[in-house]
Amino acid sequence: MENYEVFEHTADIGIRVKGKDLKSLFKNAGLAIFRISSRRQFTKNKTHTRINLKISSDNLEGLFIDWLNELLSLSASRGLIFHNIKIDKLEDNAIEAIALGSDINNYKVNTEIKAATYHQLKVAKNAAGWQAEVILDV
Amino acid sequence: MSEINLEKIDAFRWKIPKSYKPGMRVPGIIYADEKLLKDIRQDKALEQVANVAFLPGIVRASLAMPDIHWGYGFPIGGVAATDIENGGVVSPGGVGFDINCGVRLLKTNLQYEDVRNKLKELTYALFSDIPSGVGSKGDIRVSAREEKEILVKGAQWAVEKGYGTRDDLDCTEENGAIQGADPAAVSERAYERGKAQSGTLGSGNHFLEIQVIDQLYDRDACDELNLNLGQVTIMIHSGSRGFGYQVCEDYTRSLVHCLAKYNINVPDRQLASAPVDSAEGKAYLGAMKCAANYAWANRQCLMHLTRLTFERIFNLSWQKLGMFLIYDVAHNIAKIEKHIVEGKEKVLCVHRKGATRAIPAGHPALPVKYKQLGQPVIIPGDMGRNSYLLIGQAGAAETFYSACHGAGRLKSRTASARSENADTLLKELESRGIIVKASGRGTIVEEAPQAYKDVNDVVDVVHNAGLSKRVCRMRPLGVIKG
Repeated sequence: MENYEVFEHTADIGIRVKGKDLKSLFKNAGLAIFRISSRRQFTKNKTHTRINLKISSDNLEGLFIDWLNELLSLSASRGLIFHNIKIDKLEDNAIEAIALGSDINNYKVNTEIKAATYHQLKVAKNAAGWQAEVILDV
Repeated sequence: MSEINLEKIDAFRWKIPKSYKPGMRVPGIIYADEKLLKDIRQDKALEQVANVAFLPGIVRASLAMPDIHWGYGFPIGGVAATDIENGGVVSPGGVGFDINCGVRLLKTNLQYEDVRNKLKELTYALFSDIPSGVGSKGDIRVSAREEKEILVKGAQWAVEKGYGTRDDLDCTEENGAIQGADPAAVSERAYERGKAQSGTLGSGNHFLEIQVIDQLYDRDACDELNLNLGQVTIMIHSGSRGFGYQVCEDYTRSLVHCLAKYNINVPDRQLASAPVDSAEGKAYLGAMKCAANYAWANRQCLMHLTRLTFERIFNLSWQKLGMFLIYDVAHNIAKIEKHIVEGKEKVLCVHRKGATRAIPAGHPALPVKYKQLGQPVIIPGDMGRNSYLLIGQAGAAETFYSACHGAGRLKSRTASARSENADTLLKELESRGIIVKASGRGTIVEEAPQAYKDVNDVVDVVHNAGLSKRVCRMRPLGVIKG
């Protein structure tokens, strides 16, 4: 079963992501944005690029948006699609992680996600773990 | 679904009273007829109109054009003007990620009969010559020094490189280069993200279309513009690509902090804003203008590539083919403009988020050639129906001289992708004489005509409300999608 689902938004795309804990929520959300936008189709370049990320923000919701936007921005500027993420440290206002990316030319990219937005953003704990809802500008 | 009680002002104007939500500083006004209003109520756009009314310094009303739909922060199709002297704010969310997304319209002296048998060849040639699709990179290479030059000079940079003429700049809003761009306010990441994307169309709803004029509404204006029935036009819709997205992201993040700092109370953090006069507000506007100029340079490059393709196919110079720019308008931008509010001239920060400037004849910002006529207002529709050319009217003073920007989405991309089949859709369009070439099949179904409101209904409201008058209508022949 997918750990994310897409919900309706007139102009953009909304995603609802689940995680058993906060770390897996951040990881699943980070990977979901690339699962939605691209499909691996070729092996033009076998090299994988490891990128260390260290982000801090005012609060958990801000961190969640900054995290997704940093991944999108790095993906666009370095020409990478991230397919694995390891989160080393996660607090309410800071994250340290390693993202593993593969050359964007190995993928068929269907949708350009411009950014994650604060509009109707929800990041909350529930009985099963953590859940987030975020609207992505496409 | 929105249950907001709207007060009917007249057949084309509806009001969200200030009392709807405590914190609204002005009412909301929606330009729509009963038919469009039904669609508008289907999503959360009206709530967003009310939210925008919270912005400090907002004057007159939070306005919504008939193509309004649910966005993030601002509705798409929203206009808001803030009074700078009275603490008026600027909000990156009121411009959007694709800063200076806009359209330009070129005419040709070709008639439908001249292109009918060449349509497939032309469309395929344009598709191969013009880089499109997600993250597409162009053949127009620029050095790091030149990139900074683009941010200040905009379309003028392209013209200096030989990608067009001075006449093109005359026919571009702000002459293709808004003053006050500050490259120092732009992050390294924005430079990286925008690198090599000059002269690329992008993806999603961006397009390049070969069209034919199928209806004339204002004969005098058509004569003035040398436009006739059956004449071929070309429309280009694109923006500031990754560069603009990064500028918006950088400043949304930093302006979220300004909400507490300047005691700004808004119901949605995507309305993050700062006083126009503050250091943060000035920095955003300096960076936003860089992205706006990047977009004007980009559309100028796209037009240049289009002219080259036509030259090759018809074996005639673009001048001989009459490929002159009618006009280029921005529809995602914030601009400092003077307007009369309650009898007094005010300096306002006008946000147009999915709205087009529409100034009337005689306005000082018009180039000499349009002084008598008024500003051409270009309204693209979906790939199966129509697009319009209108002219700004004096009546648009009530909207800070703004009109709609397109048809406006009706169905979500996911809903459209579920209900449409790319092959069936392409066949159906081809049977109606429309050739579509797209980078991805996903784009075709997401951008299906049924996913949009009927642009004819939207333009009717803008015309009947006196914001702009219809000049002529086009229908698509060849469509390039990202």
